[in-house]
Amino acid sequence: MSLLQVENISHTYRSSNRLWRSGSLTTVLSHVSFEIERGQCLGLLGSSGAGKSTLGKVILGLEQPRQGRIIFQGHDLYYADTRAARQLRRDLQVVFQDCYSSVNPRMSAEQIIAEPLNNYEKLTRDEGKRRVGELLEAVGLKADDMRKYPHAFSGGQLQRINIARAIALKPKLIVLDEAVSSLDMVNQTRILSLLSELKATFGLSYLFITHDIKAAHVISDSLAVMDKGQIVEHCRDKSGLADSAHPAVRELFASVLPEHPRDRGLGRESAIKQ
Amino acid sequence: MVQTEPVLEVNGLKVQANTPDGIVSLVRGINFEMHAGKVLGLVGESGSGKTVTSLALLRLLDRKRILVEGSIRLMGTELTGLKLSTMQSVRGKDIGLIMQNPMNAFSPVATIGSQFVETIRTHARMTRNEAAELAIAAMEDVRLPNAAELMRRYPFQLSGGMLQRVMIAICMCLKPAVIIADEPTTALDAANQLQVLRQLDRLRENNGTAVLLISHDLSVIAELADDVIVMQRGQIVERSDVYQLFDHPQHAYTKQLLQARPTLKAREPESLKEYARA
Ligand SMILES: Nc1ncnc2c1ncn2[C@@H]1O[C@H](COP(=O)(O)OP(=O)(O)O)[C@@H](O)[C@H]1O
Ligand SMILES: Nc1ncnc2c1ncn2[C@@H]1O[C@H](COP(=O)(O)OP(=O)(O)O)[C@@H](O)[C@H]1O
Ligand SMILES: [Mg+2]
Ligand SMILES: [Mg+2]
Repeated sequence: MSLLQVENISHTYRSSNRLWRSGSLTTVLSHVSFEIERGQCLGLLGSSGAGKSTLGKVILGLEQPRQGRIIFQGHDLYYADTRAARQLRRDLQVVFQDCYSSVNPRMSAEQIIAEPLNNYEKLTRDEGKRRVGELLEAVGLKADDMRKYPHAFSGGQLQRINIARAIALKPKLIVLDEAVSSLDMVNQTRILSLLSELKATFGLSYLFITHDIKAAHVISDSLAVMDKGQIVEHCRDKSGLADSAHPAVRELFASVLPEHPRDRGLGRESAIKQ
Repeated sequence: MVQTEPVLEVNGLKVQANTPDGIVSLVRGINFEMHAGKVLGLVGESGSGKTVTSLALLRLLDRKRILVEGSIRLMGTELTGLKLSTMQSVRGKDIGLIMQNPMNAFSPVATIGSQFVETIRTHARMTRNEAAELAIAAMEDVRLPNAAELMRRYPFQLSGGMLQRVMIAICMCLKPAVIIADEPTTALDAANQLQVLRQLDRLRENNGTAVLLISHDLSVIAELADDVIVMQRGQIVERSDVYQLFDHPQHAYTKQLLQARPTLKAREPESLKEYARA
């Protein structure tokens, strides 16, 4: 049995904006189905507005879909009894793009990372400190950093703290929604390697949501592409995506910026048509 | 090739901030030149001082806390020491700024059209209608769909990619000699990123604008820059022609930036490992 089964999910939003198509229903997700196996990373690609974050929220149990089921470790996420639901939440963690607004600026790194531990485990003060120290070291920071507050960390360091918090309870699946998109290239590469390393060490599974085909390619085992709320391509072997003929996939490849100036201008023709 | 007079010349630019922990050097004496119709790439990781440099050029840093020294010459005119009111007319008309988050460049409570028209009219003698016509033509020029209709919308009703193209359209109307584009595509998805870079390049080509293209992303630099300066901790550690930079990087920091990039090519897992730490 797969770790996560996404079964025929459809979802609509009612537009609340009065100036703008007032009250109309828009379909955000339409008959989305896929599975994630234990220890695997699925990269979910798509341009902005495709519905990726909405799907992420549905999978995290934060947005009940109008139709379909999320089966996580064999349980229906939205219809599990309270005790099962609590255990499922523990095994399902998230890291968002904006590392600064994901943390409370008045909490120390220790408090931020210890929060999920305190919710689920009865630890003494010393045990808690030791665990937070270990987690900080696992994400490449120092145990001493637990005393610092968010403003004292760079974006890349803060994202490491968000990752430490996400792995604190040894979850099974982490949803990473544009988790490296706002970092500079050096930090993107570092965080991607850290995530790969943690995945191997702890047998984690990821849903890696991004618009960036390069980042997705580096970390994922399989790749899916979403367009207008639908999965239009799903390659179990990530290298197969380059052969897809779907226009949304072609556009993703055509928009990739060159790695060397000799390749400049290649993607521009397709961008002009838009 | 005949070397033209630089449009913008920066000499010994230093920026220091007064902080609770004492005086901190943010930019440590940098020199560079910009030429008409050329794109100068400024690359470096976050915190290296790129944004502070661009704000110093425009004199947009808080004067009470931040000390700027050095010479900034725009077409032969020294900008440091200019009256603030004179500097205000330089901004926009002579030096345009395109910021990372385009939402910050617009007021949330006025329509795109009224802001566009007001901006044109503060720098050029024109009636409201003439300015509106110019604005619509410029928005069509950067391939924004339904330009006339967009004029009536509010900033929050446009995507980041569209707002960035409105910024470029404004620059097309004001025709500044220099444009500073500070991470103009960092907040955009790939398709919008390419579209905005394309329009920025057309603007440069049509108006002979000198562009300072700031990015942490060497792919953006590879796509558009002619020359590149590499910044680390407030200093320029390498400057060269863009091909030279990619083929024969000199400084260790440049080599590191070139290596630390996610790529579509398969890479040795070992070489990735070293980046996981620190
Ligand atoms: N809370 C919401 N209410 C109404 N519409 C929304 C809401 N959240 C997202 N949308 C719309 O749903 C669509 C998909 O958004 P999203 O899932 O954020 O896409 P992505 O993450 O792929 O960029 C967009 O058109 C967006 O405007
Ligand atoms: N107003 C300010 N006062 C003090 N320090 C600042 C100020 N603005 C930026 N800095 C610091 O200056 C350094 C360079 O910042 P910045 O120019 O924004 O970097 P970049 O744009 O290259 O990411 C950073 O260490 C930043 O924290
Ligand atoms: Mg999203
Ligand atoms: Mg910056």
